[in-house]
Amino acid sequence: MGLAIAPPDLGPALYQRFRRRLFPYALITPSVAVIAGILAFPLGMLVWLSLQHYGLRELIAHQGEWVGLGNYQAILTDPLFHQVIVRSLAFTFACVALTVGLSTLIAMLLLKVSNAVRVLLMSALVFVWATPVVVTVDIWQWMFDYEFGVINYLLTQLHLGNFIHHNWFDNPLQGWTVFVVIVVWGAIPFVTITVYAGLLQVPNELLDAAQVDGAGAWQRFRFVTAPMLKPIFLIVICLSTIWDFGVFNQIYILLNQRPSSDYYTIAIYSYRESFGVTQYGIGAAIAVLLVLILIVVTLFYVRETVRQAEIA
Amino acid sequence: MNLRKPWVTVVSVAVAVIAAACGGTGGGNNNSSSQTGTLTVWLMNGSAPQSVIDEVNADFKAKYPNVTVKVEIQQWSDVTTKLDTAFQGSTPPDVMELGNTLVAKYAAAGALLDITGKRAGFDNSATWLQSLTDSCTQAGKLYCVPYYAGSRAIIYRKDFFASAGVAPPDSIDGLLTVGQKLMTAHASDPNFSALYFPGKYWYGALPFVWDFGGDIATQSGGKWAGSLNSPSSQQGLTTLNNLVGKLSRADKTGDEAKQDAAFAQGHIAMIIANGWEVGVITDPKAGNPALKDQLGAFPIPSHNAGQTAPVFLGGSDLGISAKSKHQDLADAWIATLTGNKHMTEMATVGGVIPNTTSMLSLGTGINSTFYNAAKNSKFVPNSQNWASVESANVLPDMLVKIFTRQQDVPTATNAASARISTILNGGG
Repeated sequence: MGLAIAPPDLGPALYQRFRRRLFPYALITPSVAVIAGILAFPLGMLVWLSLQHYGLRELIAHQGEWVGLGNYQAILTDPLFHQVIVRSLAFTFACVALTVGLSTLIAMLLLKVSNAVRVLLMSALVFVWATPVVVTVDIWQWMFDYEFGVINYLLTQLHLGNFIHHNWFDNPLQGWTVFVVIVVWGAIPFVTITVYAGLLQVPNELLDAAQVDGAGAWQRFRFVTAPMLKPIFLIVICLSTIWDFGVFNQIYILLNQRPSSDYYTIAIYSYRESFGVTQYGIGAAIAVLLVLILIVVTLFYVRETVRQAEIA
Repeated sequence: MNLRKPWVTVVSVAVAVIAAACGGTGGGNNNSSSQTGTLTVWLMNGSAPQSVIDEVNADFKAKYPNVTVKVEIQQWSDVTTKLDTAFQGSTPPDVMELGNTLVAKYAAAGALLDITGKRAGFDNSATWLQSLTDSCTQAGKLYCVPYYAGSRAIIYRKDFFASAGVAPPDSIDGLLTVGQKLMTAHASDPNFSALYFPGKYWYGALPFVWDFGGDIATQSGGKWAGSLNSPSSQQGLTTLNNLVGKLSRADKTGDEAKQDAAFAQGHIAMIIANGWEVGVITDPKAGNPALKDQLGAFPIPSHNAGQTAPVFLGGSDLGISAKSKHQDLADAWIATLTGNKHMTEMATVGGVIPNTTSMLSLGTGINSTFYNAAKNSKFVPNSQNWASVESANVLPDMLVKIFTRQQDVPTATNAASARISTILNGGG
């Protein structure tokens, strides 16, 4: 931005050149300002906050106490943090794998079915997508309810065992399975519709040619469809990873806003430390670590996506 | 809370007349009619019945005709987050109801106005309940006015007891025997609980810890040490775990928020509850009014036959924001609400324990059990960091781990004690 000051004695040609150089910067200034305002500034504040001891007293006085990397040290030596990280990563992996796998299958199904069924399926997907998370979680909560849940009732009626008064959240492994189901269910519509849009772009001639050459269904998918969908898969996996790693609402609401530490994701852990225990500095440091971990996890996908874009 | 009975109106009117005869409330101000502005008050959901709030505001309006009072009802589940946010801003509410376990945190952080000098202006300040006054006191200074208290006892179904041929027990062993007889009598009902005890109900668990001589934490030389892992605490929790395992079919990972609605469904013989929960159980909309004559109460028994276990004294206080621009008005509004007239209504209409020992005789009928329970009561560690122990769910988590058999009592209590020591001593 140092170019903004033009020396007064420049000749017209030079002035023109500066103008030409300056013009693009002027054009992107508004977007840069907006991005700086809504992304860079809060992120900067977050990092600044994470380097301070910031409790309730500091909050009221609007004055924190500088502790350098003290908050990070405290978190990294907390065994709970390690558990939360491992759990969040495993949960994210399960959710993303299931979401992308199931969505691809449904998208391919959409290609095969009749128009009427496709419209029906699409509407169902859009309904799932359009329902606010809070509402869906409330419904899921009732379905998995300990006393009155329809899931327990159904499983018992189907003679799959005695599920009367079965508590799905007694055992964390079962509880997390329930959350994987809920999160994947909510994530499928977006991914399915995106993959379906991609599938429509795969030329039929290529598939026909492959078939003529003797390729089976799996080979056609593996060697024709999948490579063509690669950019879409990359974006979808990247976004799903970011979303699933930061899951908060489903767990927090379903467990009545008092999840036990067995059910902490990194986002809930950060929230509890900030607003629950009133240690805003620690909470901010956890949030910064969340961003760093996400950057590492998604770096590969982002790099691939950029590379794809360059090829195209 | 919603005891809408005709006699309530009669009592209220009678009380109003008596109170008027006894003289007005504190906080007199000669220029009261010239005061203007808006007074914002935060009260908690379920504390004062709407009729009492309306009357308080009417009385206040008569004195300060040009002041608008805005009463906003808050929910317990997220109130600390809202309070933190409000105190951080420049215009927090002028008056706020604070759970007695939360006051220390906000007083220590400088959010509340020191009202030590104004104490004498409030009715009954010489006879305020000691435990509530203690919760308002930090380093010898007074930061809030005691509002009301609540203590727990066991609410039971008289008809279930009669048909099983049992009477209210007077010891923990007796409680187990009575419970088992009830379970046998209702063996055909898969949803039946003799003693319904949701897993996260830590207020219900504390009496058992205290009864065996245990405690949450002890302080010596300015340092707190968690003591839920002491042998006596563990004995109490083991006893409770045995009761829950044999008598309760409540959700072991759930909390007590829905226990009254569950009780009203008719598959429960006993719950550990506050006095005002009788009103919720028999509420025409949310509960079952037909149960009114079938409800009785008895104190939580001790393991020593004939004695009662100490209970947690819950309650609320009323504080004034240090940043409030209407501190005199806030003071006057609190004086109106906690004055003789309306405090009597809180007890008779609201069914809570009033803030002064001089009104403890107001507890009659089923309420007298709860009033008496308050006399043998204990409190959580009075530390500015206690609220963080609550927010971090340390006790509910520990109970869930024990009741669901994820951890044995020693493991769960050791972990909880260590966490409590850390938080109370100022660590995260």
